[in-house]
Amino acid sequence: MLDLRGYGWMLWEGVQLTLLVGVCALMVAIAMGMIGAWGKLAHNPVARLAAGTYTTVIRGVPELLLLLIVYYGTPTLIQDVATGLGYDIIIDVNPFIAGVATLGFIYGAFSTEVFRGAILAVPKGQIEAAYAAGMSRSQMVRRILLPQVWRFALPGLGNVWMVLMKATALISVIQLPELMRNAYLGAGNTKLPFTFYFAASLIYLGITIVSMLGQQRIEAWARRGVREA
Amino acid sequence: MMRRLTTFLAAVLAVTVMAGGAQAGQKVKIGTEGAYPPFNSIDKDGKLVGFDIDIANALCDAAGFECEFVVQDWDDMIPGLLAKKYDAIIASMSITEERKQKVDFTGKYYNTPAKFFARKGSGLEISPEGLKGKVVAVQRATTHENFLTDNYGSVVTIKSYATQDEAYLDIVSGRADAGIADSVAVMDGFLNTDQGKDFEFVGPDFSDVKWFGEGAGIAIRKGEGDLLNAFNDAIAKIRADGTYQKINAKYFDFDVYGK
Repeated sequence: MLDLRGYGWMLWEGVQLTLLVGVCALMVAIAMGMIGAWGKLAHNPVARLAAGTYTTVIRGVPELLLLLIVYYGTPTLIQDVATGLGYDIIIDVNPFIAGVATLGFIYGAFSTEVFRGAILAVPKGQIEAAYAAGMSRSQMVRRILLPQVWRFALPGLGNVWMVLMKATALISVIQLPELMRNAYLGAGNTKLPFTFYFAASLIYLGITIVSMLGQQRIEAWARRGVREA
Repeated sequence: MMRRLTTFLAAVLAVTVMAGGAQAGQKVKIGTEGAYPPFNSIDKDGKLVGFDIDIANALCDAAGFECEFVVQDWDDMIPGLLAKKYDAIIASMSITEERKQKVDFTGKYYNTPAKFFARKGSGLEISPEGLKGKVVAVQRATTHENFLTDNYGSVVTIKSYATQDEAYLDIVSGRADAGIADSVAVMDGFLNTDQGKDFEFVGPDFSDVKWFGEGAGIAIRKGEGDLLNAFNDAIAKIRADGTYQKINAKYFDFDVYGK
């Protein structure tokens, strides 16, 4: 089996942090996605423009680049401007927060599209019928739209989660000791890179398999009461 | 381990106003890589160890600083310094003209030569003719890469890697015919390991100042002359009182300070 030469605990700590970053980033992404989808489908042209710009820019710029801009670029810029104005300040962006915010923001753009598709998948007639039956807008959203949007969005969100999970490895560049970074440190110190990267890849695969099983159960739960074709 | 997690969550966005000037008792954050044995690495208990670390601690004692280490990826070592994630880099960073445009350096605290290495019995000759058509592995953004590009760039295929370990990996797998790196790092990190037992040094020592500079120094942000002087004084002090020699003897059986 894999002999981790006493560095196994580092991988274990890394896994915990990876999962924590992943789950927190997913929550941010879902929140951003709902706001984005609302903006894209709004009648207000400003909201539509803002949401359109958000998804275009974010989906068009590599995650790694955005991460480096948030973690190194922005603090350096602000500090340099402050120094120019005669203040000596240090902006210390916590790597955990920087990572969660950046990943959440990026995958929020992808989940925007997931939610937009899910909202459009609800038949228009149902919404018109809800209004015709005298429901207010918020009643319609709560009773007709959301229960179905969740069901339509789940497969897409599951996909976002799996891609996001693997993107957490990028956070290793901002010194957050997650799985990828700890595998790198373990490899560097034992001179067993293959062992450590192989162990890390098995762990990522394990997380993905567990996620898939979880997703199937959640989808089955969301589909309860829906007749299969 | 939960404690480690909570420390990450604790400080969300801390803005600190610095006190001016270098003084005893001052808190100084030191950036290092933690994956470059025997100079700096992380042991089984997660503690930083190595020559750089011992030297850094000795320098901080000599200067009266309270030091704290920050482990940082090599590629972003200088950006991290400029972004004030730490105040000094003690990570076996070679003093070069290119880097001096971005940061200031203290005098060297060690200087070991660079050497090529290849599979035993490869009969590789280190010359433009001998290396013609060979694939040479080197760590990216290092003095070794610049040396290789300038001297053999037209005859060899250069493969650059983010870490020295990835370079070793490709040499072992046969995707590269040779590598070039710091002799001590190669000796300890590769030739003396299981992975590197079939490999050896080839060719002469290289320590041209033009590429390799004066050796490894401590990088400080420009315009922080007090801190720079404090570190220079500390280097002179530990050289004079025998602390340096004690640390040297712990890791190497020759004088790594060089000429």
